[in-house]
Amino acid sequence: MSASRYNRQVILPEVGENGQQKLLKARVLIIGAGGLASAILPYLAAAGVGEIGIVDDDVIELSNLHRQVIYKNDAVGKSKVQQAKRMATELNPTTKINAISKRLSGKNALDLFKHYDIIVDATDNLLTKYLINDACCIVNKPLVYGSIYRFEGQVSVFNYKNGPTYRCLYPDENSRSLNCNDAGVIGISVGIIGMLQANEVIKMILEIGEVLSSKILVYNLLNNEQQKYDFEKKENLVIDKSAFEAKYKTIENQVEEIAAETILDKIDTDGVLFLDIRNSDEFPKMNFKNGIQIPLLNLESEIEKLDKNQTIYVFCQSGIRSKTAMELLNKHQFKNVKSIIGGALVLNQLMEEGTKA
Amino acid sequence: MIEVKYFGAVADKTNCPTEKVPLGDLSLEQLLSDLDKKYQLNTLSFSIAINQKIVPKTTDYELKSNDIIALLPPFAGG
Repeated sequence: MSASRYNRQVILPEVGENGQQKLLKARVLIIGAGGLASAILPYLAAAGVGEIGIVDDDVIELSNLHRQVIYKNDAVGKSKVQQAKRMATELNPTTKINAISKRLSGKNALDLFKHYDIIVDATDNLLTKYLINDACCIVNKPLVYGSIYRFEGQVSVFNYKNGPTYRCLYPDENSRSLNCNDAGVIGISVGIIGMLQANEVIKMILEIGEVLSSKILVYNLLNNEQQKYDFEKKENLVIDKSAFEAKYKTIENQVEEIAAETILDKIDTDGVLFLDIRNSDEFPKMNFKNGIQIPLLNLESEIEKLDKNQTIYVFCQSGIRSKTAMELLNKHQFKNVKSIIGGALVLNQLMEEGTKA
Repeated sequence: MIEVKYFGAVADKTNCPTEKVPLGDLSLEQLLSDLDKKYQLNTLSFSIAINQKIVPKTTDYELKSNDIIALLPPFAGG
């Protein structure tokens, strides 16, 4: 059965029986079960990749369906990875699918990655991209990167045969960019970029063609322009295991930070509180319906104004003082406080971009 | 003339995907500073490429006729 299932790719001289065996033995981990994964997963499963892990802790929302085309209408509210597993298993029951319903973190990334040959970044935020990149460097796995901004996409392969990494391309960890929820996207854009990622995965497994290592491909869907840019490895930007643990475990255990672009939809809604700990003379002013301003110096004396069980997003001007405020609140047994990375400056910029969009 | 290409959020600020800039005695540093003044790019993070090769922002480089400079911000959508 296997022979006839894969016959049309096996007859390619670049694949052959030998290549098909490589595919059947390959183990690929996809991080994120959104729009990119909706293209990557079915094609890798159909091609006969032996084992595919998919990590995401989200549930399917109605606003996902226009681009996350592996999910059916009646699956809204259900676990993404479980539905993804169901789809891929129906497509090709011989592929083993591991549905991992977790949020990737500094605590679980290294153990998770070790089991796989190739890691695929199908996430939608920059913080996680740095985490994936750093974890890939430590466990020495190649990383297939793809990302979207409206009608433009980027694809590259990092840490391939000791090649350059995401940090060599984008050293500034404090940079930010809107995700699909905030910037807008059509399904075809994530589909095309996801397919290019799947193509790199297959090429790496089969050892054919030229892998996009040391190069970033930039694709414009509106004018069909494709550009490739070369970049080099910078040894000083590779993180070691102790630095990784210090960086990610510290952040998780003591300092919970959150990317501004992931919480824009919480502004002016019930259920969360935006706590501005800047002084009243700091600009830009952020007047949210669900916001309150208590300068850091007064925070401890006015702490009774806040509810310990409420989700609180604390921000200052640039994201430094808000970490101090968060530690203070945690000391007073606040349960769910997060510090907004980049503070009011980033929030303000993202909101301005959002209005223009 | 040189050509400057813009991508992602940078192109949103410049409102054009590409433009020609007169050469003069322009260094990369001067060009970036001029573009920053014109488009307020300082809130954005991006990498720079000269003729399809990514270089550090601080690279000491005298621009030559027909050089193509690209401003490449990271993307986050997926």
